[in-house]
Amino acid sequence: MTAPPPKGQMYLFNSATPPLDDGSYRLTCSTAITGPINPPAFTKQNYFDIVGPRFSVPQSMVAGTFPPTNSHGAFQDSLPHIVLSRRTLPWERKLDPEGKIPPPAHNPGDAPVPTDPVPWVALLLFEEGEYTWYPNIPLDNVVPADVFSRLGSPASIQCDAVEAPLPLVQSILPSLEELQLLAHVRWVNVDDRELNTAGGDGYFSVVVSNRLPSPSAQCRAVLVSLEERSDLVQSNPPPVASQGPPIFEHPVSRPQAARISAGESFIAPGSTVFTLSQAPAHRFPPRGPIVIGFPPVQKVRLVALYSWKFTCEGPGTFRDLMQSLDDAMFGNVQNPGHPPLSDTGHLQISLDDRQGAVEQVWYRGPLVPWQLTRDNLGPYHSADQARRVTPETGAEDVSYAAAFELGRLLAASDPRLAQALMTWRRESYKQAARVDTISAVSARIPLNLPATLAEKLHCPIPPVASVSVTSAVIESGPIIADAHGLGKVVGAAGLNAANLASAWQISSAQAQNLLGADPGSLGAPVTAPPETTRGDTTLGTVAADTAGLTRLSAARTQAVKNAAVTLENS
Amino acid sequence: MRTAFITGPAALRERMVAKAQVDLSVPESSMPPYMESFLAHLRVLIGVPFDYMVPDSRLLPDESIRFFYLDRSWTDRLVDGAVAVGKSGTREQAHHQAQAPNLQSQLDLTERTIRNIQTGKQLPTNSGPAGIITGFLLRSATVVGWPSMDVRAFSQIVPPSPGNVNDPGAAEWAANATAVQLPTLRLERLSPSVLLALFDGIPQLVWCEEPHHGIQFGVTNSGEAGIFYLDRHEASGELEPGSQSVQVPVRAANHRVIAIQQLRNQLNALHDPNLVPQTGSAALAIEMLQLPWRQRFQGAGSDRHPGSGGFVAKYSVARVIANPTLQQTVRELF
Repeated sequence: MTAPPPKGQMYLFNSATPPLDDGSYRLTCSTAITGPINPPAFTKQNYFDIVGPRFSVPQSMVAGTFPPTNSHGAFQDSLPHIVLSRRTLPWERKLDPEGKIPPPAHNPGDAPVPTDPVPWVALLLFEEGEYTWYPNIPLDNVVPADVFSRLGSPASIQCDAVEAPLPLVQSILPSLEELQLLAHVRWVNVDDRELNTAGGDGYFSVVVSNRLPSPSAQCRAVLVSLEERSDLVQSNPPPVASQGPPIFEHPVSRPQAARISAGESFIAPGSTVFTLSQAPAHRFPPRGPIVIGFPPVQKVRLVALYSWKFTCEGPGTFRDLMQSLDDAMFGNVQNPGHPPLSDTGHLQISLDDRQGAVEQVWYRGPLVPWQLTRDNLGPYHSADQARRVTPETGAEDVSYAAAFELGRLLAASDPRLAQALMTWRRESYKQAARVDTISAVSARIPLNLPATLAEKLHCPIPPVASVSVTSAVIESGPIIADAHGLGKVVGAAGLNAANLASAWQISSAQAQNLLGADPGSLGAPVTAPPETTRGDTTLGTVAADTAGLTRLSAARTQAVKNAAVTLENS
Repeated sequence: MRTAFITGPAALRERMVAKAQVDLSVPESSMPPYMESFLAHLRVLIGVPFDYMVPDSRLLPDESIRFFYLDRSWTDRLVDGAVAVGKSGTREQAHHQAQAPNLQSQLDLTERTIRNIQTGKQLPTNSGPAGIITGFLLRSATVVGWPSMDVRAFSQIVPPSPGNVNDPGAAEWAANATAVQLPTLRLERLSPSVLLALFDGIPQLVWCEEPHHGIQFGVTNSGEAGIFYLDRHEASGELEPGSQSVQVPVRAANHRVIAIQQLRNQLNALHDPNLVPQTGSAALAIEMLQLPWRQRFQGAGSDRHPGSGGFVAKYSVARVIANPTLQQTVRELF
């Protein structure tokens, strides 16, 4: 059963017990190894405590109370209850671990005896004047000495206590079986709830009181601890009041009715037995010495784990309150003109402007009674950008400027956000710089990059660029350099046959002859001599080729000389 | 004199419009998670002081509910202001200018996930630009007294009476209601007595239901002192149709103390086959629960929402008693 209840439903459980009750435990660990070698048995003992709320229940564990704390309302027909967000709390301790309370009597025909554990808490309802409240008193002043010793005589415990006369406590305290019946667990759907730290999983334990508050009474509901209070908790509930006039299921003739009233018993048709006994005649006690004053009433104190007050008067149920709500769109005021809202929902407020002068401005919060168009002029970079002047009044509208400043203040108050903003910008700048680099390179070298920006950015540029450069060099055929400057020589005016022919009014053949060259001897591409194929050489054969080395050496010397001459001439 | 190659303002303008920025599709330039979540929280007014929302207390008097539309421009300015932190030069401005459309569309998606993250639920799948956000502010004693009430909003008016839970039509009604339910973007108490709700869409019907974990135990007063009656509830928690109510026994010593054990024995002695067998506290609770009140607010977007309400006619109490697996889950938890 792991699926939570569907919306609008809840599951009820009799109880939810923890695997271990609160208390001190001893953990014994021992080895039992049998085999060819029998090592000595090893035993280790350790102690641990399971500690839960015992003498007070913190507010954080209380998910709700009914009637609400300090509320006024018509609660006289409802039983007070307390909702605890810890579902096992009512069953975490034992009310009577030593079994001092005898099991309740069970008559044939009664409902089966509940098998669930008995909770150690009960919700008691006291009306004003019935109880005395003792906040924060020592525990040994609250419980009797024997109970205190059975509790383990905990030292220096302070707790709240409620004190009431013994007959009253006996008349309202649930019996053993009633305690079981007055606590249960609910599992509800929490999808459409406000956020709450308590009861996030939807499980709650509920402890109900058995007493209805009296009309127009001030009441205090007290969640009391009954741990070891076998002196108070009874196994059987006190007698039940007679139930008013009996309802006859069969017509009864008048004489029979008369006999009933006379106090006899008879068998009605249908075998329903009614036995009415006459109330004993009221007798005055024999006269004796008149006692002045009242005998002292024995009082008992109980440990109060949690308590709240409410008053039972007037309408105050959920229904009454919801029905009397003033419902309207935001901006409707009960007394028109107070506060003076404009028809656009703006409120006039006074503001200290930059010169320190008080100025009347308009303000409207984020909650408006109409649907508004979203401003698409953003983003805004400063609050001043968002200030507006209303043409009708000439006053400023600072609504959006206020929102801007508020956002800035909220963000500035959070150092982690400032860090995140810086990270965001830094990473963006890095990537933007890469985009710039890539576009600059792409303008000069056609790079073969992926189409999408993200892949482009994650592509390593240098290898791609070098591949592009190399393939450009290989694939583009034309000569890229004129090593001997022949191009310039051919370009000179005096060496161009066509120019000579037009300048001297001679034929082009004459001009060619004048220049003393065959047509096409200048500027013609030089075909490289074919490579001579050689056999594989080794370093040894190269070193042995003395003639070749001498030629190389001479060529080097000539090259150095040429370089020196070029440097002197330049 | 030669004119300048470029003027300062023109250079700034060039820088502002030149999109030498990287959009959010690049992982490195997307928002850090903390920033994204912070800004999305601002979008649903988390952290906004109450005075900014309600500038005058008379706009939200005691015992009132006020419905509203959320001004998206206002929340956009809030986000702009937050991003403006540390924006010291044109470089940051240019960056924000270029990133703003992406940032806005991303936050439009993120703002819908906040409540799911808060409540630990699965993320919603809806996408697209943000729609209209509406909501209400409720200042009432009910917020204090009935914490965690159920709040739901519907884009269409759902008929009030769902009918019997076990009827075939009830499942259909529930399915229809779920289909038109608007996602809740935020539902939080701003103060002990003020509840703020935000919905994704324009509701035609909003209801606030008494919290189920707080459903009271109660009896019906006969009008005569000390005589109370109890209606018979079926196993699902519904009233047994046409049944006689049961008189509640009280203790002789105190007529306002209900004799719980005797009451249970009486219920058991009825031998009513429609009632739950009295096996323990859960079975007794089913008999004593009172119906929760469901307050409906509905209107066609006019400036007044007529408030009407009704009891949840048939709230459903699924009875799970002595379930060994529950014990099991408890054991696993502890």
